[in-house]
Amino acid sequence: MIRRYSHIFGASLVAIVSLTLYSAPVVADDELDCIMCHKYRGLSRIDEDGEFRLFYINQELFNSGPHRRNQCKDCHNDIDRIPHKPAVKVDCAQQCHIVEPSGEKRFTHESIAETLARSAHGKLDAEGNPKPFQEDYPDCKDCHDQPFYRPVSVDKGTIHPGVSERAVTRCKSCHKNGDFAEDFYEHVTSRLRKTRFPMETIENCAKCHQDPEFRERHELDDVVTSYKQTFHGKLIALGSEKTADCLDCHVVAGENTHLIESQSEPASAVYKTNVPATCGTEGCHTQAGPYLAGFQTHVTYDREKYPMQFYMLIFFKGLIAVVLYFFLALIFFELLRRLFPNFTFIREKR
Amino acid sequence: MNLFKRIVFKLYVLILMGFTVWYGMFMYPLIFGFEGKEEAALSLQELGDGVAADEEMFARLIEEQEHTSRTDLGFKVIEQPYIEGRFHHIGFSVQKDQTSMCVRCHGNIPHDKSVELRSFMNMHAFYLACETCHMPPEEGQPDHEFRWYDKDSGKLVPNPRALHDIEESYRTAARIYPTYGNYGAKIAPGIEENGSFRLLHGKKDMLFVERYISEQGRLTPEKKSQMERVIHRGVSEKPIECKYCHNDQDQFLPFAKLGYPPQWTTELTNSSVVGMIEKYKEFYIPSFLTPGIDEGAD
Repeated sequence: MIRRYSHIFGASLVAIVSLTLYSAPVVADDELDCIMCHKYRGLSRIDEDGEFRLFYINQELFNSGPHRRNQCKDCHNDIDRIPHKPAVKVDCAQQCHIVEPSGEKRFTHESIAETLARSAHGKLDAEGNPKPFQEDYPDCKDCHDQPFYRPVSVDKGTIHPGVSERAVTRCKSCHKNGDFAEDFYEHVTSRLRKTRFPMETIENCAKCHQDPEFRERHELDDVVTSYKQTFHGKLIALGSEKTADCLDCHVVAGENTHLIESQSEPASAVYKTNVPATCGTEGCHTQAGPYLAGFQTHVTYDREKYPMQFYMLIFFKGLIAVVLYFFLALIFFELLRRLFPNFTFIREKR
Repeated sequence: MNLFKRIVFKLYVLILMGFTVWYGMFMYPLIFGFEGKEEAALSLQELGDGVAADEEMFARLIEEQEHTSRTDLGFKVIEQPYIEGRFHHIGFSVQKDQTSMCVRCHGNIPHDKSVELRSFMNMHAFYLACETCHMPPEEGQPDHEFRWYDKDSGKLVPNPRALHDIEESYRTAARIYPTYGNYGAKIAPGIEENGSFRLLHGKKDMLFVERYISEQGRLTPEKKSQMERVIHRGVSEKPIECKYCHNDQDQFLPFAKLGYPPQWTTELTNSSVVGMIEKYKEFYIPSFLTPGIDEGAD
């Protein structure tokens, strides 16, 4: 799968080489004028492996996220002229030109890459040896497409999605230059809620965790399907943003979302002794007792792996079916009698 | 009156009976649906085990075709085509060309031989009909006229509104993001005859191609070659080159007449674009023009 992605990497690699020509000051200058070509929706080809590679950049959408202050060359730093050769894969851990304000250092995603490397999704085991099925382990782009800001505003105690023009106006009374106020506002308020809609997060995890072949290789349960059957899963399917998605329960306490451990690891948020604390986390079941999730929370009904759960499921499904269809049949025949009150198979002899 | 009441009652009972049956059917997948899903997943897996990589890819492409990605920002929802592994957002779908006889076989992204030019040429294929470049007028023949046609209906349409939006974007300092290259229409060449305009490739040609495709199984290899030759009649070995349009002297395409705004026309015919294409001069001549010659050369 990862190999498949690599074919498409070039599309995005070359693709970033653009952006921002006609945009306001916060947007980085496009010094190579990449957008001259990459603004065309049809800039594309089919590569040697038959993969579709699209090099189009939607400027409006690119300028809706935190990367809008980056120049194309910040990520695609192998491109230094136009026309250019196929670009190399972007290394998200490289430094870009943006200076991180708290440390006054050039920004990089290196720390995130390090966190990912020591999580269950890292490519090396605890001894530093490559885990089997290396191609199954994710790189940045396997989970992340280009990020968007998801700002919120608070007006008279009510929270709304989107930017508060009133708040930005207040910021701009001091921070007048360029779009600094808008950018800062969107950057900070987007962190006040989930940066993705929960269903998108679940579908993202499902790309691997719902793939039968992937699960078989790694001996994993079908946790996505079983999650979708839970109360949490159904609420999210109905559009809730307040319900726990995969990240809410599986990220190690106090860490960023890239540190997810196997449930067999004592540090894991879903390790049996950590579950009560995870359920009782801020914004969730803070008043809950230790046994709130003292069961197999989203169980897979696998006959060989979990026979008790499997047969319990069969029993309860059978019970529901027997009770329901018995009474439905009873109602049906009762109605039939109302329809034909005098009908009988037995003829009375007179 | 009594009879009427009885009829209403019977109807009522019948409706209730119908509801009871429907409810039983409605509940069945809710109770037993999970096992069904598992079986389906297993059978899919078994199916997957037996297929070659190419077949798997084909199945994926078909699946992806139906797949769109949805990003909910709370204040805006972005629906767009899904391309596995793509980092940058696309934002919208492209209107397909339903009427081009060339696209019918060669697809929307037909150029892939010339490494330097293929993406650029495919880009142009989104708003230029193939015959614009591949069927230039022969020597001694009058120049072609060019018009826009609708990708859906094939009918001639006025110059696209999106071209005006592009001009507007030059005039304002506000952030405006016009769409380039997706106009729902394409430029195609045609001929003025007896005061009326006729596209080089019309409905009749498309019907001919459709008929060839549906009946090619019955044709002998020789007849197939003959038919292909007929279909490609008029296709030039030397297509129109970039510099014929991207120059500041005399352009092959009448940009102004086709609705291209002045500033953008200047951009297309001056400095940067022209400078870049000067560096791209390698062309691939499609081998279908010379049947029998090996297609190996790039």
